[in-house]
Amino acid sequence: MAFNGLKKAVTLTPSVRTMPSGVPAAPLLNLAARAPADPHAHGHGASGPRSDVVPRWSGGISRSSSSLVSKSYTTLPSTTPFTARFMHTSVAVKGAPEVPDFSHYRADDTDSNRALSYFMVGSFGLVTASVAKSTVTEFLKTMSASADVLALAKVEVELATIPEGKNVVIKWRGKPVFIRHRTQAEIDEARGTKWQSLRDPESDEDRVKRPEWLIMLGVCTHLGCVPIGEAGDYGGWFCPCHGSHYDISGRTRKGPAPLNLEIPAYDFNDAEGKVIIG
Amino acid sequence: MAFSTTLYNTFFQRNSVFFSTVFAGAFVFGIGFDTGVTAFYDRWNRGKQWKDIRHKYSETAAEEAE
Repeated sequence: MAFNGLKKAVTLTPSVRTMPSGVPAAPLLNLAARAPADPHAHGHGASGPRSDVVPRWSGGISRSSSSLVSKSYTTLPSTTPFTARFMHTSVAVKGAPEVPDFSHYRADDTDSNRALSYFMVGSFGLVTASVAKSTVTEFLKTMSASADVLALAKVEVELATIPEGKNVVIKWRGKPVFIRHRTQAEIDEARGTKWQSLRDPESDEDRVKRPEWLIMLGVCTHLGCVPIGEAGDYGGWFCPCHGSHYDISGRTRKGPAPLNLEIPAYDFNDAEGKVIIG
Repeated sequence: MAFSTTLYNTFFQRNSVFFSTVFAGAFVFGIGFDTGVTAFYDRWNRGKQWKDIRHKYSETAAEEAE
C-alpha cells in the first residue's frame, strides 16, 4: 500500500517559523525533557519513563536537522478521500429496505377522510353552539319572574260596575290606576283637541284601546303625587301638590308635569266583561 | 363524483358556508332536541302530569274540553 508509510508532520501552533513546505521549524526541541517531579502524582506521571513505550519499529517522532518528523510504519486505516468513513465498525447489510412499506396503511380515498374530518369538526361545533345557546337562555330564564309573581302582578276589574262618566281608582302593583268610563262628549273633547301642540304630543287614539275606557296610572309625572279626578281646568285630573292639570285623555296641559299620565298594559276580556291590567 | 367530494365542495370548502351550516344546524338541532326530549318525558310520565289528570278535578276545564 502506498499510503502505509505516510509521513506526517506534527501540528504545532504557528508560533515558530514555518518552512516553505508548511512544516514548522523546531531546531532546539529537546525530546528527552521530562516534566518536573510532582509530589501529588500518584505514582504515574510524567516523571520516569512510561511503561508502554511505543516500539521503535512502529514509527515515532524524531528530529531531523531542522524540523520534527513523525513516522508511522504500522498499518492504519486510511483516511484518504478514497475510503468511506464509517461511524461504527459493523458492516452495513446490503439490500435491506431503507424505508418500511407503508402503502398498506395509506388511505385509498383521501377525499372521504377529509370530508369525515370536516364533518366531525362541524358536528362538534354544532353541538357546542346549541349547548352554549341553551346555557345562556336557561341562565337568563332564572332571572325572569316566576309564575306566582306574575299572578300577583295582574288585576281584573269588572267593567259593568262602572257607570258612564265615573272614575274608579284601583291599586295595581302598589300604585293607583285610574279607570274612567268616558261619556261621548268627553270622547269628542279628547279627540277634538289639537294634540300636536301639546307639551307631550300624543293623540287620544294612541292612549286608549277603546274610546269609552281610559285606563292610566294615577301617578303625576311631575313628582309622583296622586292627581284628583274630575278637577282642573281641562275637566280631567288635577294634581294638588304642584298644580298640574291633565285633560280628559290624561295628557298634561298645564303646570310642571312634563309628560302625560302613563298608560299601563291592559287587555279587555269581553266574555267576562272584565279588563285585565298587567 | 363521490358523495364525500360533493359534501366537501358543498359545505366545507368555504368557511363562511361551513359556519353558516353549523349555526343553522345548531338552531334546528336545538328545536328538534327540545321537542324530542319533551315528547319522551310526556310519554314516560303519561298519566302522572297535571295536564293528564286535570279533567278529573277542574270542572271548567272539563267543560271546555267537552
